[in-house]
Amino acid sequence: MQDGKALLSTAVPTAPPAARRSPWSMLGSLALLALALLPLAFGKDFTLHLAIQICINVVLVSGLSLLARAGQVSLCHGAFAGIGAYVSVLVVMGLGQPFLLGVLAAMVAAGVFAYLLGTIMLRLTGVYFVLLTFAFGEFVRLVLLEGDSITGGANGITGVPPAALLGHVLDNKAAFYLLALACAAGVTWLLHTLYRSPAGHAIDAVGENPQLAEATGISVRGTQRYAFTLGSALAGVGGALTAHYLRYVSPESFNMHLSLALIIMMVVGGRRYLFGPLIGALIMTPLPELFRGAVETQNIFYGVALILMLRFLPQGLASLFRARRAHKVQGAKA
Amino acid sequence: MTTSTLLAQALVNGLIIGLLYLLMAVGFTLVFGVMRIVNFAHGEFYMLGAFAAYILVSQYELPFIAAVGLAFLFAVAVGWVVEEVVLKPFRHDELNGMIATIGLAMILQAGALILYGPDSQFMPSVAEGAIMLGGVTVPMSRLYVVGFSLAVLLVLYLFLGHTRNGRALRAVVQDTEIAAAQGIRTRIMYPLGFGIGVGLAAVAGALMAPLFSVSPFVGATPLLKAFVVVILGGLGSIPGAALASLLLGLAESVTSTFISNSIAEILIFVLVMAMLIVRPTGLFGRSEA
Repeated sequence: MQDGKALLSTAVPTAPPAARRSPWSMLGSLALLALALLPLAFGKDFTLHLAIQICINVVLVSGLSLLARAGQVSLCHGAFAGIGAYVSVLVVMGLGQPFLLGVLAAMVAAGVFAYLLGTIMLRLTGVYFVLLTFAFGEFVRLVLLEGDSITGGANGITGVPPAALLGHVLDNKAAFYLLALACAAGVTWLLHTLYRSPAGHAIDAVGENPQLAEATGISVRGTQRYAFTLGSALAGVGGALTAHYLRYVSPESFNMHLSLALIIMMVVGGRRYLFGPLIGALIMTPLPELFRGAVETQNIFYGVALILMLRFLPQGLASLFRARRAHKVQGAKA
Repeated sequence: MTTSTLLAQALVNGLIIGLLYLLMAVGFTLVFGVMRIVNFAHGEFYMLGAFAAYILVSQYELPFIAAVGLAFLFAVAVGWVVEEVVLKPFRHDELNGMIATIGLAMILQAGALILYGPDSQFMPSVAEGAIMLGGVTVPMSRLYVVGFSLAVLLVLYLFLGHTRNGRALRAVVQDTEIAAAQGIRTRIMYPLGFGIGVGLAAVAGALMAPLFSVSPFVGATPLLKAFVVVILGGLGSIPGAALASLLLGLAESVTSTFISNSIAEILIFVLVMAMLIVRPTGLFGRSEA
């Protein structure tokens, strides 16, 4: 309760009045929309499959970047996606509830887990927290493997029903793409709104300088727990989408590799930018397809790309756009 | 076997495993102490050490002692180069440095996959026979592990406590800037610290190679164990790592003897969480890492 109050009553500067929409940002939105609808026009199964994966990754990476903005890195994001996936599957298959309720349950379950976990683990900062999230990811994988009476163990659960909305069964790729696209856009919009609200400013303040934030009355742990809870709830949604798209869940789909891949997308896209997750997912999701059948080469490329990116563009690809814009603003002032 | 001999056997096995965790965790903590970087590639250096020992013994028919020594030197050399070429810009950059080592781990593992494929390789046993202590059987191959681990740790202790470079390294762990002000060449200390740290991981890998199989994926479990040990013991603390390694080894061995392997893994995580509630900085941790 106290944490929540501190979050709302912070003395951080409020957002500047919304800037007049420039024709460029309108054009940008239109271009984005056109790009988003492009896979539908192609209609090929494979293109749509990639597009769906990209959208799901946008949802997952967005949650991760929310926590990163609050100054913590989690290595168990894939585990929260796994919790969401299994909860949704069990609610839909085990309890016979509709798909939407499954997604909601996934979101709540992942969020509640993260809240409880955050209460304990966010006592730790920086690398300690990262180490513990790594261990938690492994813990979730083991529990999924061991609880085979419920989770199917290593075999996972097959025959997951397809997503369905208002009586429409989304069992073809085009229909599911529209759902995934709506989720990706919805999450991006949600974060856009959040980052402009006082709670969002508190998150940024905590991420930039925790001591200063604490001194101005922001609860660092409360804010980080809030970001961890919301970010993990988004992972739950992403996991539920994955489960009902692939129609199969297994512990290995949500292991450390997923968590690492999401971190790479976040770093490549840009940790501190709204569109970072979008850019990261857009670039890093299709890449493995270029190296199909050569996983080793792909991983070497991933590793090299990651190191070079950290070295020469530590704020990610999104910072390129931001830098250009800042440059332009300066030019206009002069 | 009676329960008490079973327990005694479990305790002996736990001590042996604990010594290996100790080698991993001490190297890990040394790297963190010098560079303030959590080394996610630590498990891959364990894997490199295991492969080096496997190749040297089974293809070049070197004695095991020589293979372990060469595996260490090889890892130190690789670590030195990697530090200078890849990690230099990330010294003292906790988060970016850590993510960079994730990239490094991917490169090393994929490299091993390209060279040796995904299949497990098996190394001939390095020592036959076993000795009996009361009702407890200790295979010679495991006694080797104990002897080597203790020898390596003794050498490390002497190096850190009684040589110029070792003391300089400890000074850098304490405070880089003051160490530099005292005239210590920190430029050398970073690659040296990283090299020795990952070299210890390679020794652990080389020692384990005859007991288990060798494959590009063998680094994951010891990495996780090193993480758990440093969380329990407090990152940066060698006494903490020592105590936590032995406790972890014993707890794991006893649980997996009497209950099951995976329950042991799950229990350990619960233990870590419980411990964090009581002592957030670990057994010997500093208040702020």
